[in-house]
Amino acid sequence: MFAFIVRRVIQAILVMLVISLVGFSIKDQIGDPVRDLVGERVSPAERAEIAEQLGLNDPFFTQYSRFVKNAFTKGDLGRSFLYNKPNLEVIFEHAPATIELVFGTALIIIFISLPLGVYCALRPKSILSRFAMSFSTLGVSMPVYLTAILLIFLFAIHWQVLPSYGRGDLIDLFGNGWWHTGMLTIDGLKHLILPCVSLSTLMLPLFIRLIRSEMMEVLETEYIKYAWAKGLSPARVWMVHAFKNTLLPVITVFGVQIGIMFAFTLLTELVFQWPGMGFMFLEAVHRADISLLIAYLVVVASLFVFVNTVVDILYGFINPTVRITGTK
Amino acid sequence: MKTKLQKFKESYFLYSFKRDKVAIFSFVVLIVFLFLALTAPWIAPMNPYDAANIDIMNSEIPPAWMDEGSTEFLLGTDNQGRDMLSTMLYGLRTSIIIGLGAVALQGIIGVIVGLMAGYMGGKTDAILMRLADIQFSFPYLMVAIFMSAIFQVVFGLGSFERLAIPLLTIIIGLSNWPMFARTIRASVMGEKNKEYVEAARVIGLPKWTIMFRHILPNSLTSVMVISTIQVANAVMSEAALSFLGLGMPVTKPSLGSLIRAGQEFFFSGSWWITVFPGVWLVIFVLVINLLGDWLRDVLNPKLYKG
Amino acid sequence: MKKITYLTLSLLLALSFTVSAGAKTLKVGLDADPVTLDPQVQLSGGMMQLSHWVFDPLVRWTQDMDFEPRLATKWEKVDDLTTRFFLRKGVKFHSGNMFSAKDVKWSFDRMRKSADFKALLDPFEGCYIVDDYTVDFKTKKPYPLVLNMATYFFAMDSKFYTGTDKNGQPKDMLLKVGESFALNNASGTGAFVVTKRQHNVVLEMERFKDYWDTKSPGNVTKFILTPIKENATRVAALLSGGVDFISPVPPQDFKRLDADSKVKLHTIAGSRIITFQMNQNRNPALKDVRVRQAIVHAVNNAGIVKKIMKGTATVAAQQGPKGYASYKDSLKPRYDLDKAKALMKEAGYENGFELTMMAPNNRYVNDAKIAEATAQMLGKIGIKVNLKTMPKAQYWGEFDKRVADMMMIGWHPDTEDSGNFTEFLIMCYNTDTGYGQYNSGYCNPKVDEMALAVQSETDIAKRSAMLQEIEQILYDDAAFVPFHWQNHSYGAKNNLRVQPIINVMNFPYIGDLVIE
Repeated sequence: MFAFIVRRVIQAILVMLVISLVGFSIKDQIGDPVRDLVGERVSPAERAEIAEQLGLNDPFFTQYSRFVKNAFTKGDLGRSFLYNKPNLEVIFEHAPATIELVFGTALIIIFISLPLGVYCALRPKSILSRFAMSFSTLGVSMPVYLTAILLIFLFAIHWQVLPSYGRGDLIDLFGNGWWHTGMLTIDGLKHLILPCVSLSTLMLPLFIRLIRSEMMEVLETEYIKYAWAKGLSPARVWMVHAFKNTLLPVITVFGVQIGIMFAFTLLTELVFQWPGMGFMFLEAVHRADISLLIAYLVVVASLFVFVNTVVDILYGFINPTVRITGTK
Repeated sequence: MKTKLQKFKESYFLYSFKRDKVAIFSFVVLIVFLFLALTAPWIAPMNPYDAANIDIMNSEIPPAWMDEGSTEFLLGTDNQGRDMLSTMLYGLRTSIIIGLGAVALQGIIGVIVGLMAGYMGGKTDAILMRLADIQFSFPYLMVAIFMSAIFQVVFGLGSFERLAIPLLTIIIGLSNWPMFARTIRASVMGEKNKEYVEAARVIGLPKWTIMFRHILPNSLTSVMVISTIQVANAVMSEAALSFLGLGMPVTKPSLGSLIRAGQEFFFSGSWWITVFPGVWLVIFVLVINLLGDWLRDVLNPKLYKG
Repeated sequence: MKKITYLTLSLLLALSFTVSAGAKTLKVGLDADPVTLDPQVQLSGGMMQLSHWVFDPLVRWTQDMDFEPRLATKWEKVDDLTTRFFLRKGVKFHSGNMFSAKDVKWSFDRMRKSADFKALLDPFEGCYIVDDYTVDFKTKKPYPLVLNMATYFFAMDSKFYTGTDKNGQPKDMLLKVGESFALNNASGTGAFVVTKRQHNVVLEMERFKDYWDTKSPGNVTKFILTPIKENATRVAALLSGGVDFISPVPPQDFKRLDADSKVKLHTIAGSRIITFQMNQNRNPALKDVRVRQAIVHAVNNAGIVKKIMKGTATVAAQQGPKGYASYKDSLKPRYDLDKAKALMKEAGYENGFELTMMAPNNRYVNDAKIAEATAQMLGKIGIKVNLKTMPKAQYWGEFDKRVADMMMIGWHPDTEDSGNFTEFLIMCYNTDTGYGQYNSGYCNPKVDEMALAVQSETDIAKRSAMLQEIEQILYDDAAFVPFHWQNHSYGAKNNLRVQPIINVMNFPYIGDLVIE
């Protein structure tokens, strides 16, 4: 176990090294960050001087080794040109917005897919089941930016009941600026609704189907047949015996999908002017903030490796045949 | 001996297909779409990729049945003066080519990597899966920017239009293979300790033969299910890239880039520029997804073994 | 989040008591927010807008292109090289310090060190204090544009920016990337005091209670600026009532704004010209003046203005718009497809040729759409265009390398003077002098000579004639493909009196905005 974790940490470091190396090698293709720092009138000579000051003219290896050295010795991933702050600070500043967006979306998914999935399993032939399944597939078939703009059109412009952009009133959760939350004010919650709904359309059908099929499978097992034979009430059999057993695989998939959902926040955040990490990433691309881009890639990659490691460890606990020590 | 056709006719697969109206309907619609896309150059009223047919003064003409509409442009024109109907047909064609190509590419990479990682395990597994992590953490947007930059240096700006389709296919294909790899790997891990694999190993068959001839066919159901979903995803990815200005060149719009251009007209009076291609794309992706869902339900062997 | 100085904090407190009954909050959605609070770090539209809100210049432009006294009450020419400005008395900075000649000189000297402003200030020899409320600006040569430049002389609070910050750095350090006091703190004389700033998310300002301009009708007490990048989202924010004022409004949404009874569209003609340049060094066909003429004749720029810009632009045939010294009434737009085809034939390109084209997709209003339409139009005379559009961050790099045969460039002269167009877009590209920095393909030594002569010509009539001659040469030579001068567009709720505060430069003077 310990050896496994140590090996994964070493792998994670290698992954980050490779990613930052790739990031460094492509950075010149993304644009010239100096162009974004100066007005259009500034002469090429002045620009070259600024690039020199920022160390952008140094040879590739010098720049890269400086980055790696700072990362290891000081935990410093460089400074964003666009935000003019340390990259890590910028990323952590934008993280709460994305996390709350994903959290809100997850809540919507849970509260809609659980009852609907269970219902579809119990009454597979009913009109409502068929409607729920087809309708949720429609949601996933719509480009998320089209869903978003449609929601804005209906709820923000036509009926004017919900705000169309941004996060609304925020509360500084710890009083130190680490986490500004929109989940504790009415206004903030209102702002969350549209982005969360449009994001949730992507994942809803998957979960309704998953819960439905897992539940149907469980209903076929001996265990449930035995429960029926005991003469328990349907509600008890369904909710206590069947539902409980459905949850485990659902939770596993949920964990993986949450990770994927982070990647999908990009377009939602763009349309709703949601100041999260996806928005930050796009802004960094458009403004050629290569320093922030590389730091972002490293952070995201380490997150992925971390999540995958946790999932693998969990698998090891659930299914003992997958040997996580991995030694032959 | 039954012929393959007979076997198919009696299969559970066909049986459940015939019984599912949604599946039949989706399948028919999909065939119609494929047909339209294939024959677009012959059935479209005009070639929207040809500058000679386009006049800016014809822009934003509403559909034929509306007040200022013209019968020349049945579904109206877009903001550049292109016939909507023709552009949608051509755009669909482009989207389908990119979608299928990208899935073929990611399928090939994903299957090979997944098989190797799952079967060989150990160091190979660790390296390949870390590689997948790297790929996963690079948003395809990054890959797209990077590749189009390299591309421009290698082939020159002049050929961008001609080579945009293969380029996008490669970008979307390269950025989505981990999905396949993971699924295949998981299914291989389940298969490789089964007796038939043991048996093959005992009689000394080479590794590659076991992987491709024995394990792969048994993992094909998952490949099929992912493939359908991934085609839909690829079409959407291309749309998303277009949304960010990295998709097909503006003069040769795909369905995605068409919607991206139209999306700006959503609030203006010219609703048809968004709505028609939007509905067109949604129906297309919807039928693929419905078929995918149906496949997932049918091919999941656990469900019907009773 | 932000290091708000003790001073601004106490100001904020004071304000929160005074602002109560007549509180008018203005929520603004722009496509981008100012990159810093230091007015001298970057010369860009966004920064200039901020400067007009938080600081004040010596003079500023009025709607009809005249000069309006701000921190300078009057001015006079002392000799050929010297202009004297008499400064306003009793003006207070946000910090409470009093404004005087010292601040003007301090700000001017600091601006000379800024990479962005250096070149603009090159004609100046220096700034000299005559007494507490009088300064002299001396130029190296007779210079006709001293007042135009005085619109850039924003006064910074010299006392506030003197000393060292907590990192031991001088507070007035000019820095693009890194920690500096001036980047995050501002004290000007302007109508608004910055109270909160989170870059790319929000910028909050409150009205300065000791603002010197008591005659200003403006009644905005709180000013919240949110950058909203996506066009559709910005329009939606206005239509849904989320913001009160947006800019720019994408032309395709003009109709929608007109149809809504709660909001109003305001536009004003601007002086930014949109052009395509033809690179004669890259594509030999473009060396032939007949081919260039053919291209200009093939481009239906009136159609683009009507259809893509929805009428909110002025069709152009020369660099400077009407009202500029260079404007020549006889130069008319030349769309004529038959003539274009005839010219192609004459030049021996009956069967056409191929060329590459590049344009940004987030720099000018509908830039990518204009490029697309142009590509189609050239297709009609047999020129096959390979078009690529990209975000400006990548585009500028490509422009510097001049990688395409035709490249889009828009230009607005900082000096509001025609000479500036020629210096940047037309003069032969020269890395030493910096002339022709945005010229990708035309070079005519005669034009260069004339443009240089214009610079020190102070006789207005003579100067005008020279500038007009340049325009005529460029027109005959088909030096570039002219499109239009872009209008500035603003969408606002009906109770905002927007029309009086907008101007050609796109610096809405929010300080003077009246909310009814």
